[in-house]
Amino acid sequence: MARALTGYLYLVPVAVCLGGTIVFPILKAMHMSLYHHVLFKPQEYGFIGLGNYSALLRDATFWLTLWNSFVWVFGSVSLQFLGGFAAALLLHQSFRGRAFVRTVTLLPWIVPGVVVALVWEWLYQPNYGVINDVLLRLGVLRDRVAWLSDPGLAMGAVIATNVWRGVPFFAIMLLAGLQAIPDELYEAARVDGAPVTRRFWHITLPLLRPIVIVATATRIIWTFNYADLIFVMTGGGPANATQITSTYTLLMAYANLDFGYAATLSVVLLVVMLVFTVLYLRVTRGIESVT
Amino acid sequence: MDDRWVLSRRQLLKTLVASGVVAAADLAWWEEPLVGPRRAWGAQPVRFQFSVPEPKRTALVESLAQRFNQSQKDFEVRVEFVPQAQARQKLITSIAANNPPDCCQVWDNWVGEFEGMGAVEDLTPRVRDWKHYKDVTPIAWQTVTLRGKILSFPWVVTNDSVYWRTDRAREYGITPPRDDWTWDEFQATAKAFTKLEKNQYGFGMRGQGTWAVLYATEFMYANGAQVLKDGKVAINSKEAAEGLEWYLDLFRKGKVCPPSVPTDGWRSIVEGFGRGITNMYIHNSGSSEEQKDFVGPQNFATVPLPLGPAKKRASFYFSETLTAFRNGKNRDGAWRFMAWLMEDEPNFMYCKTLGLLPARKAIADRPEFARDPAYAGFIKSFPFSIVSPYLAYAGWGGKLDSEGVPLFQQALVGKLTAREFLEKFAEVLAKNMA
Repeated sequence: MARALTGYLYLVPVAVCLGGTIVFPILKAMHMSLYHHVLFKPQEYGFIGLGNYSALLRDATFWLTLWNSFVWVFGSVSLQFLGGFAAALLLHQSFRGRAFVRTVTLLPWIVPGVVVALVWEWLYQPNYGVINDVLLRLGVLRDRVAWLSDPGLAMGAVIATNVWRGVPFFAIMLLAGLQAIPDELYEAARVDGAPVTRRFWHITLPLLRPIVIVATATRIIWTFNYADLIFVMTGGGPANATQITSTYTLLMAYANLDFGYAATLSVVLLVVMLVFTVLYLRVTRGIESVT
Repeated sequence: MDDRWVLSRRQLLKTLVASGVVAAADLAWWEEPLVGPRRAWGAQPVRFQFSVPEPKRTALVESLAQRFNQSQKDFEVRVEFVPQAQARQKLITSIAANNPPDCCQVWDNWVGEFEGMGAVEDLTPRVRDWKHYKDVTPIAWQTVTLRGKILSFPWVVTNDSVYWRTDRAREYGITPPRDDWTWDEFQATAKAFTKLEKNQYGFGMRGQGTWAVLYATEFMYANGAQVLKDGKVAINSKEAAEGLEWYLDLFRKGKVCPPSVPTDGWRSIVEGFGRGITNMYIHNSGSSEEQKDFVGPQNFATVPLPLGPAKKRASFYFSETLTAFRNGKNRDGAWRFMAWLMEDEPNFMYCKTLGLLPARKAIADRPEFARDPAYAGFIKSFPFSIVSPYLAYAGWGGKLDSEGVPLFQQALVGKLTAREFLEKFAEVLAKNMA
């Protein structure tokens, strides 16, 4: 009994830290979401039940941001995955200078998000940015394109930047997975006369699947909450074309000072992510039992 | 030699370090031009938050704080630099946590919100007894007065005017804008300045940030519109819609603006002009010193905003304020420091270095401001300058950013007509008249 108690005592510091930094803020956000809490109107502070949730359902901008979030997340993650997979397959080959290339590949991931945003904002600058300049010189463009100022192009432009930044993450994760696949399996398949495509479909992909799922799920959660890039590059504009739910939450909290509504948005984001995580856990459990 | 007189290497180093520290500390005092009584050890700290940590401003504010610290012995100002993008958020958080700085530099459109939070120290009684009270222009006091209470010092004031390239006007044979130019002349000048083959545009319109909406509103005022009329929101009037339509068409149809307009904030419009991409833009006097470095003082000038069809025009005043907090730990120190920053030399240095206009008449009348062509447009705009109508309600400040700007951008890119934008915008304003 005393031994078991000692064990629990050792867990107390971790439990306190997790409780203080994760559980309490979540509960506090849920609590705040039930109140009218606009910082510059303290006299109106009060319990309004589900009033903020009801307002959120009627808020057209919220639905737009939710849709934008899905476009942002799935556009970014799917392209990051494809790019990262291709990079991992290349980096898995043996060639001179491989260690150097692997290190360089990591660079976009190492650079802080805000710096990436600033650099790409300059690259996209329509009047003196490098991208327009090169495309004009090559004859690909006839007129300058406002990549970040055109509502039809802005989301694509920020996704492209996020893809550039996120490819190394997938590349490294998948490379680690590739290196863990025993060579004997490939040799046996080769002896049996299996071509490259079949070896890829029947050995590489199935054995990488757990890593793919873990990496993809992690990246989806991160990207859903990742506001830095958009915040710096477009501020959610033009005309809300790149406004995702996390940047909208920031706007509600720190432009409108409406902490009650911002907390409601945070709770909804949490629910969306929880639903996704539960689905993900179910899928991975299924895969683990298969593997 | 007796061993007692031989210094060990460690003793020698300690002695050298100690004498170096003493000498350096003493030299610092000699170097200081504003020599005053040395600070007492018991000087009370004053926390001052400053939110534009650009290299020039950082050095300037540090220097001012040092001079203040040396000019008296009761208080020691410690400057806390916060990036501009986080300044408001940091202040809100510190107010909510009951730990605000003693005083800070903020824009006048934030003061109403902080007052709404019950956080701002009412300076009215002290200000009325302040020796320079009557020297500050009444309109500057208006920018910091809410419900009859003076809440801040207007550290600097500024209004808007049009920057234009004098050298390129000569090169392209363009008639220089007159002080009483009209919308038609403005448009014609913008067209003449637009040279697409040279990647040059006539007018750098702003599409991002609060002032994107404010500049557009100035044009609506020039067409006879008002934001508030008889206590009701009137920004959806016919005059406003026509004025806005004309303004938006400079970008949408006239093609005299760069394609980046919908996301161009103040940095972009200032740099666009500085890099020679645009040949006119609207801004306050705050970028005049920068343009002297970018394009050269002889190559640009400023002129008042053009007269609209209603033969009216407006330039919105705003001030960079010095504001003290009710829950600050050192309210006396905050007052002393803020009042000192409004004195002749500190105020002159701050305004001149940054290209902003002093709120005090005695300083504004100095030739450095009154005779500089870079300031001419601003000084000539004083007669028709008004306090921004969006300062009327605390709730409007945040809504301008969160709803006004995205709506304005929708109008810019053609997703909304000028009329639709104004109807929606008026609805937002009417809902937040608190």
